[in-house]
Amino acid sequence: MMRLRGREYGAHETLVMAIVNRTPDSFYDKGATWDDGPAFERVRKVVSEGADIVDIGGIKAAPGEEIDADEEKRRVVDFVAAVRAEFPDLVISVDTWRASVGRAACEAGADLLNDAWGGYDPELAEVAAEYDAALVCTHTAGVTPRTRPHRVRYTDVVADAVSYTVGLAERAVSLGVDPASVLIDPAHDFAKNTWHSLELTRRLDEMTATGWPVLVSLSNKDFVGESLDLPVGERLTGTLAATAVCAWQGARVYRVHEVPETRQVLDMVAAIRGVRPPARTVRGLA
Amino acid sequence: MIVATAVCPQPPLLLRELTGGRDVAADLRKACEEAVGVLLGAAPDVIVVLGADARSADRVEGRIALSAFGGPGERVPGDEALPTSLAVARRLLDDLDARVPVEMGTIAADADPAEVALRGRAVADRPERVGLLVMADAGARRGPRAPGHLDGRTFAVDDTIRAALAGADRASLLALDPDLCAELLIGGRAALQVMARALDGAVVTAPRLLYADDPFGVLYLVASWPGEDA
Repeated sequence: MMRLRGREYGAHETLVMAIVNRTPDSFYDKGATWDDGPAFERVRKVVSEGADIVDIGGIKAAPGEEIDADEEKRRVVDFVAAVRAEFPDLVISVDTWRASVGRAACEAGADLLNDAWGGYDPELAEVAAEYDAALVCTHTAGVTPRTRPHRVRYTDVVADAVSYTVGLAERAVSLGVDPASVLIDPAHDFAKNTWHSLELTRRLDEMTATGWPVLVSLSNKDFVGESLDLPVGERLTGTLAATAVCAWQGARVYRVHEVPETRQVLDMVAAIRGVRPPARTVRGLA
Repeated sequence: MIVATAVCPQPPLLLRELTGGRDVAADLRKACEEAVGVLLGAAPDVIVVLGADARSADRVEGRIALSAFGGPGERVPGDEALPTSLAVARRLLDDLDARVPVEMGTIAADADPAEVALRGRAVADRPERVGLLVMADAGARRGPRAPGHLDGRTFAVDDTIRAALAGADRASLLALDPDLCAELLIGGRAALQVMARALDGAVVTAPRLLYADDPFGVLYLVASWPGEDA
């Protein structure tokens, strides 16, 4: 069972988390939702497309201009409050590693803290507990936020991801976070080369076997681009293939740029797995 | 003595689990339940079900095998699985919580007139109050997307069956040509003719056609023929 914003989700329900960047420089949208107007349009669009969660972030993952906590709050907090006002039932996630930003976001109505840098600020989990928010525990092998992987080595990347994220999850629960509201994320491409991300995808069942709901963030990432030798903007098909493989192995939440395509893939895989009936079957039965 | 008769089609999609998220046959099922409800309301001692199958059998027992169609539930061995026509009948009766004895049998789709007459008489001669449930489809070649593709000859034959069921016209049913019906995939021809023989000379009060449509290229007909003692 997984609980977000008070709602409980069954073992076979999958959720689409739509990325909403409040950044001028994120790799995929390159600032398309930097201004309030387009950002709001993006939220309305993804909600109408069936997104279950929006993930609002104020700092791009890649290295770049330093953004301090005050500037990050300026980018995120009022926007969270405005989204909350317009969409009372929507699950709002904030992508931040900073406890101070997490606290302000929860005050503004956020339900989920997406700690994409894997516990870099240990107080973030305490904020989640304090506000009864959900928490994503991400595998980064302890690297500093916004650094790129350089000659990263693992004895066994999957074992490392499992022990690291489960460790963070158990710590979060010990601090008072609702165990049904803790997710783990292998963090494709974060502190990993493409081989590592592919192996995590291939062996994702070892993460889902932990029992913690697994979030995957695959969308248009470099491991897709390098696998297919395709630039940003031409990685949707590869992203959806990876999505299907993760869905087959039981991942629960998918952090994505493209909502309807992802939803279709998830529904199709669920039908193949036999956990969701086809929408309408007549062929051969009339 | 036959106290009432109902005719229902026999597509697997009447088994709700098989049609996925959307109930594509809700209207059809409702009409079938109405027809079977009239049967049960006639206070029968026994419900006799007659359905089409590859071969004839006076008495058939078994279970509904959703698994045969890829549906949910345990895998049922072939010799324990009801034929499709009887599985649909079983489900309709179960859904209406029928609390009378049910006897089920099949009639081969290619049964000849002699066999049809024999089976009809066997039902007619029963001393108890019989509610007769006939599972029978009309043509399955009613369009390019129909199971049997399009055969323009089907419309006249199907119209004959439709009118016969609406008006309790047994002679028209008995006049159906077995070879033509086989070519048009009219799976219910033999079962309908057994019914016509069984009710030969009987009074049918206020026959009603409760459904006549071909949403998926097969003509589904639902009819209720109450008897004078219903």
